Amino acid sequence: MNPCPIKIPFGPQHPALKEPENFLFEIEGERIVDVKPRIGYNHRGIEKAFECKTYIQNIYLAERICGICSDAHTTCYTQAIEELLGLEVPPRAKYIRVIIAELERIQSHALWIGLVAHEIGFDTLFMYVWRDRETVLDIFERISGNRIHYAMNTIGGVRRDISSAMVLEIKKSLNHMEERVKYYLDVVKSERTILKRAVDIGILEPKDAVNLGAVGPTLRASGVNHDVRVDDPYAAYDEIPFNVITHEDCDVLSRILVRCEEMHESIEIIHYALGYMPDGIIKTEIPMNFPEGETVSRVEAPRGELIHYLKSNGTRKPERYKVRSPTLGNIPALCRMLLGGFVADIPIVLAGIDPCFSCMDRMAFIDIKTDEKWVWTMQQLRRKFTNE
Amino acid sequence: MGLDHATAKKEVYKRMTTETMLLLRILVFPGVLFLFALAFFFEWVDRKFFARVQNRYGPLHTGQQGILQPLADFLKLLSKEDVTPYAADKIILFFVPISYLALPLTTLFIVPIASQMSLIAFEGDLIFIVFTFTLTIITVFFAGWSSTSRFSTMGSIRATLQMLSYEIPMGLSMIGPAMAASSLSVSRIVKWQSLHSWIVFIQPLGFAVFTVCLLAELQFVPFDIPEAETEIVAGWQTEFSGRKLALLRIGKDLELVLASALITSLYLGGCQRFWLIPPIVTFLVKTIMAVMLLSLLRAVFARFRIDQMLSGMWRYLLPLATIQIILIQLGLGR
Repeated sequence: MNPCPIKIPFGPQHPALKEPENFLFEIEGERIVDVKPRIGYNHRGIEKAFECKTYIQNIYLAERICGICSDAHTTCYTQAIEELLGLEVPPRAKYIRVIIAELERIQSHALWIGLVAHEIGFDTLFMYVWRDRETVLDIFERISGNRIHYAMNTIGGVRRDISSAMVLEIKKSLNHMEERVKYYLDVVKSERTILKRAVDIGILEPKDAVNLGAVGPTLRASGVNHDVRVDDPYAAYDEIPFNVITHEDCDVLSRILVRCEEMHESIEIIHYALGYMPDGIIKTEIPMNFPEGETVSRVEAPRGELIHYLKSNGTRKPERYKVRSPTLGNIPALCRMLLGGFVADIPIVLAGIDPCFSCMDRMAFIDIKTDEKWVWTMQQLRRKFTNE
Repeated sequence: MGLDHATAKKEVYKRMTTETMLLLRILVFPGVLFLFALAFFFEWVDRKFFARVQNRYGPLHTGQQGILQPLADFLKLLSKEDVTPYAADKIILFFVPISYLALPLTTLFIVPIASQMSLIAFEGDLIFIVFTFTLTIITVFFAGWSSTSRFSTMGSIRATLQMLSYEIPMGLSMIGPAMAASSLSVSRIVKWQSLHSWIVFIQPLGFAVFTVCLLAELQFVPFDIPEAETEIVAGWQTEFSGRKLALLRIGKDLELVLASALITSLYLGGCQRFWLIPPIVTFLVKTIMAVMLLSLLRAVFARFRIDQMLSGMWRYLLPLATIQIILIQLGLGR
């Protein structure tokens, strides 16, 4: 009908986006015909910062890549270093890592469900979920003294033990959480206004999901059984039985259901891990010299597969460090989901991949015509952008 | 001669007192001042109840249980900078908040509050109410259109589209009580209910349709599409700030008062005298119940998409309202 589609910019400042990022939509009527993502508004230079700090300092830097999945990043980082050093982590530390990772998955998914409820205007569910998320944050505070940045991982193990008194408290809190998760599953499955906004919205076919490199719950909601915890077990996941949750419907509702059921599965994993946690030390000694070499470490973060790459040149600082956060993997799939959808569904579909743009943002200078790449120094940047 | 002079004087005094009384009734009770106080109070009831449903505290610190919070918000907004967008149509932008405040306020004079006779009553004032509801939405349209912001324009278009869907069912559900009382005057409908029964008992379907339509009129969830926060910021209100926003907010509160007063007057018997309880007390109790009903409804739903709302209103609400009218014609519900 309309030969010249209307271009609507979405972001970098937009109420549906918690972090700045830009999407340029081409609209025909109410339908989206093209999406162009433009990332890089939240670039923090974190990979460069890795190269300027020692391996021990970098643990704390890795923790601060993401506020919500801080444990996933430190697990991934410490695993990379442990592989470089050839360290074997004590079994008890492995179990504690699993417990923390799964607790983090619960709180991250709870946060996401609240946000999705808010996107579709269901503020009551948002408030309820976030109230119950406090249960998990309280467990974190009990274990580590912190609610968000727990600082549990260190190279060669974990920093704090979980005592038997804590185990009882955690189990009690988890039982409460389990009841609430069941209630939310019930609400999501039966509330008509949620179904109206979530069923058949943001379809991502399994074939597209695999081809475009979707990861995590987004991929599993398209019916693809892929989970780093099973495919490439780390920590103590090879000793713990659990199911990988998948849903076949490929829409926003199945993404909600996958995350709700994963919360339930995480609770089961923690119960098992608390029960079968071996005794012993929680940390091994680190050798003082770091050898040369390259390692890659993978972790199933709450948002999906997280990859860290480390290149060491034998000094106390890494020569190159690369973080591929799950959101970056989901961006091409997100653009596919948005195509053909309604403008009013943009916020819910966008929130559907659980985006964390500040973890994802990387940038490089490329001249498209000459395919030339270069790096600017701080001075050059300053001259360019401050008219000094 | 002296006697005549005294009676003349008495006559003047009498007329003066009635005129003063009328002025007092319009300006103080149950007129402007009382309605403003009621608007702030109802905003507090709505916010507090909504918060309690969501397991929050709501306003807490200004006054007892935060009861003065809406007033404090209003005063704060009055003192804030009033920014007018460069490209906006300044004259319309200036008049919109005034009109948005004046419309529900004027309409409230028609609703009987303190006694069974309202401040202004004439045969056909129900039609006037329907008319002012439409004018309110036209004001909203001008608000969004004149501020020329992308979000505001989207919001005003959505508001107008929304009106096209709920206006007819709302009109029909307001005609139901009028048919029962054989009068188009709100005061007469209230009087009829005090002699017979509350209309909600004989026309429950109409009551349900009317409540849903009022949610849309007030732009409450699930019909807060014109001001959907996560999609279009504050919708048609986006470019208003300072004094203008303060007036818009009190206008919105007055609309809530009007909505609850209409539910009360048309369906719940209005201000009735029970034994020694004065009519104003029964009116207040019923309107607070109505406000709570509206807040509860806005707490338990997610927002519809605009196309879903339009088709839902035409497909379900309009037939329901028509069925209610047919039932009344068949002799049920009068």
